[in-house]
Amino acid sequence: MTTPYSSFIKSASIVLVSLGITACDPSISSSTDTTDFSKSYPIESGGTLVNAMTGEPSGLISMIAGESASSAITSNIFNSLLKYDKNLELEGDLVKNWEISADQKTIVFKLKPDLKWADGKPLTSADVLFTWQAVTDEKTASPYASDFQLVKKAETPDPLTFKISYEQAYAPALDSWAGLQILPKHLLMGQDLHTTSFARSPVGSHYYKLDSWAHGENLKLSKNPNSVLGQARINQLITRIIPDNSAQFLELMADHIDYMSLDPIKYSRIIPARPELRKKLALYKELGNSYTYMGFNLKHKPFDDARVRRAINHAIDKQEIIDGVYLGLGINIASPYKPGTRWSNPTLKPYPYDPAKARALLKEAGFNDTDDDGILERDGKPFAFEIVTNQNKEREKSAVLIQRRLKDVGIDVKIRAIEWASFISRFIKTGDFDVVVLGWGLGLDPDQYNIWHSSQQAPGQFNFIGYNNPQADKLLEQGRLELNPDKRMKIYHELSRVLLEDSPIVYLSAGYGLSAIHKRVRGIDNPAPPAGIGHNSQDWYIPQSLRRNEIIQ
Amino acid sequence: MLKYIIKRVLWMIPLLIGISLVSFMIMHLAPGDITNSEAAFNPKASEESRQKLREMYNLDKPVIVQYGLWLKRMATLDFGKSFASHQKPVFWQTTDKDGNVTKGLIQEALPITLMINLLGLGITLILAIPLGIIAARKYQGWQDRSITLFNFIGFSIPGFWLSLLLMYWLGVVNNWFPISGLHSLNYESMNTYDKIRDSLSHLLLPVIIPSITGLAGITLFVKNGMLDVLHQDYITTARAKGLNERKVVYTHALRNALLPLITIIGLSIPGLIGGSVIAETIFAIPGMGKLFYDSVLMRDFPVVMGILTIGSALTLIGNLLADLMYAWADPRVRRGVVRGQ
Repeated sequence: MTTPYSSFIKSASIVLVSLGITACDPSISSSTDTTDFSKSYPIESGGTLVNAMTGEPSGLISMIAGESASSAITSNIFNSLLKYDKNLELEGDLVKNWEISADQKTIVFKLKPDLKWADGKPLTSADVLFTWQAVTDEKTASPYASDFQLVKKAETPDPLTFKISYEQAYAPALDSWAGLQILPKHLLMGQDLHTTSFARSPVGSHYYKLDSWAHGENLKLSKNPNSVLGQARINQLITRIIPDNSAQFLELMADHIDYMSLDPIKYSRIIPARPELRKKLALYKELGNSYTYMGFNLKHKPFDDARVRRAINHAIDKQEIIDGVYLGLGINIASPYKPGTRWSNPTLKPYPYDPAKARALLKEAGFNDTDDDGILERDGKPFAFEIVTNQNKEREKSAVLIQRRLKDVGIDVKIRAIEWASFISRFIKTGDFDVVVLGWGLGLDPDQYNIWHSSQQAPGQFNFIGYNNPQADKLLEQGRLELNPDKRMKIYHELSRVLLEDSPIVYLSAGYGLSAIHKRVRGIDNPAPPAGIGHNSQDWYIPQSLRRNEIIQ
Repeated sequence: MLKYIIKRVLWMIPLLIGISLVSFMIMHLAPGDITNSEAAFNPKASEESRQKLREMYNLDKPVIVQYGLWLKRMATLDFGKSFASHQKPVFWQTTDKDGNVTKGLIQEALPITLMINLLGLGITLILAIPLGIIAARKYQGWQDRSITLFNFIGFSIPGFWLSLLLMYWLGVVNNWFPISGLHSLNYESMNTYDKIRDSLSHLLLPVIIPSITGLAGITLFVKNGMLDVLHQDYITTARAKGLNERKVVYTHALRNALLPLITIIGLSIPGLIGGSVIAETIFAIPGMGKLFYDSVLMRDFPVVMGILTIGSALTLIGNLLADLMYAWADPRVRRGVVRGQ
């Protein structure tokens, strides 16, 4: 959660921390001062990893609680049928293998044998069926129900087989099953998922189980002896809830936590400038799962004209935004897919910064500066619009840089940043905006029907920019019906090309996820694979001699 | 006197209903509801499911109907369940049929905030009263001037800035105090003595810093009260009849000078449950301020209304108590009150 002053506190504390650093005693005493972290240590099980989160999960049933704080914890406790490997390709999690029928309408999942819940009870296809029934149940009102409501029939011919059939082939099905965490039937049968105490004391099947949850303070997880995927190396995971980023950073400096996510200033300025922090902290960057964009309201003039959209795209210097807002810790993208994965079309290049071309395109679209005030006009009306965004420092700063670049080509831009709920209900739902700066996820499944298809424009739906292109519609429909990854890839490469050419949104940047982890934690892949550093967290280990002195129970 | 109290208490009921109606309306006038949270802005989440949630929470009904439903529940002191925190009860714990206890949100947050604020108020008073007296007695002297200077520095320093500085100095540069949180991670395995020491060391900064920033107001109050009283005739009389200065100041003057303080303390009762969002965020304390702030952002109406109702009830009770304490402490007020009825 971002509070209006937390960012203020953040920026103030950055000043403070950087001042404090030079003013105060440079040698921060710590028991690990003399430890040599560059040495290699044998792999050992045991130890405790302490990390920090800014928000507290609302509950630990992920089909109801959708926020990231919740999934950060549940992903250690529950398994899904499928998961993504380090290169973001699907592989079995609870299932040994899966088969797709020739007509692409039926999928048969074969579970691994002898799976157990943390309480020792067997995990079978009945649990999977129960989970499917729960997520599609009207009473659950799960926000993620729609993917699963497409399943026409679900059967469990035997305890290891789960068979589902769809009305018609549905390509995002596999991704949806990778996102659905399987819940234990024997503990949840007949319970109301909204009120059950299971949400605060869950029993899962993954590497860890929840030991305790001190409200507003911490969650403690320890190894699950019945884990379906074998044993993790680190014994205990403790997640502390520290809402303020600066306080988290102080805790990291004082060696009370091992792991936190960083903002670009801490990553590229504060930590590298301090030898004693550099000595004990390792920095990691991984491509995040989202991107920032500027979206046009395509129903408003003059944004219905592709030339105008392209002109604006050329007029914005994306590298400047990446350097200014993210201190260079981001990349330029040309499609709504994560670069380096199969769905991202490698032949596409982002619009280069080219104000001359922008001016030419605007002239072509009928814009001229007739009264010499530096602002273009068409039919006597000046080209002016408002960028609306929510109160998010990065988006606001990006908007300011855009404002300046568009001024250069003769477009007068105003910026309005308002609180999230008001933003959604006053501007997005009503469609009462010209231009927004927002973010979308770089989905692991390429299906983005809900964002781009012309049928998805009703209030509350996600094509709120009003994108309507029959060619894109057709590709989106095809992509949903094609389960063959290679054929599917071609469809989405083509979609990305159409989107780039049409420019209904301007891709601004995809920022890196940055984190600092204490060097006592070993076995982390650097550089990070496409799935990020967390993909093999079960193999991370903390050598005996590097563990904290205090024994945390 | 009793009649007066009963009358005042009865008057609180329509007042409370009025306050709750106004706050309910204001809360619902704010655009958006729980289904518009940032986490729900996900293409995988369909509009139909959001509509279903709205129906489940009665958010699709007119505001006045929703208020009626809320009032009906409040008549049985049922504060309802939070939207945002997985249906946690707002106020007090519930037990389900299997005997699992789910604690209430306010039940968990209130004791923490109350403890911090009471300790803080205590420290403020312990420091402010002597400082105020010294400043009044040495009025315009160097003691007065340095106390005023100190107070206003404390008053002007932004609390979060001082907090971060002290956290850095006491927690990072010198490993003397914990930086944030309420307990150490191994709190459960400590003995009683260590538990108390651990709690106190975690509470030190969150309690001291608001006390320092709050010191200025109360010191000034005591000082001015004291100055007024010290210039009264009866003090001159007391001095003239040869009482020693100690007795004059502490027995005769102080009691009268502290009268206005009663009002301040009475009025600070609702503040005691309020908690500060900034302090609680920085120190990672799960208190009332953070709970209220998060609930407003999430449009978690039952929690917002629960806190507002308890807050306004306490404000009214605080006012009543202040009046009563005043009457008890000052015979003139007491007679005036009785005659007035």
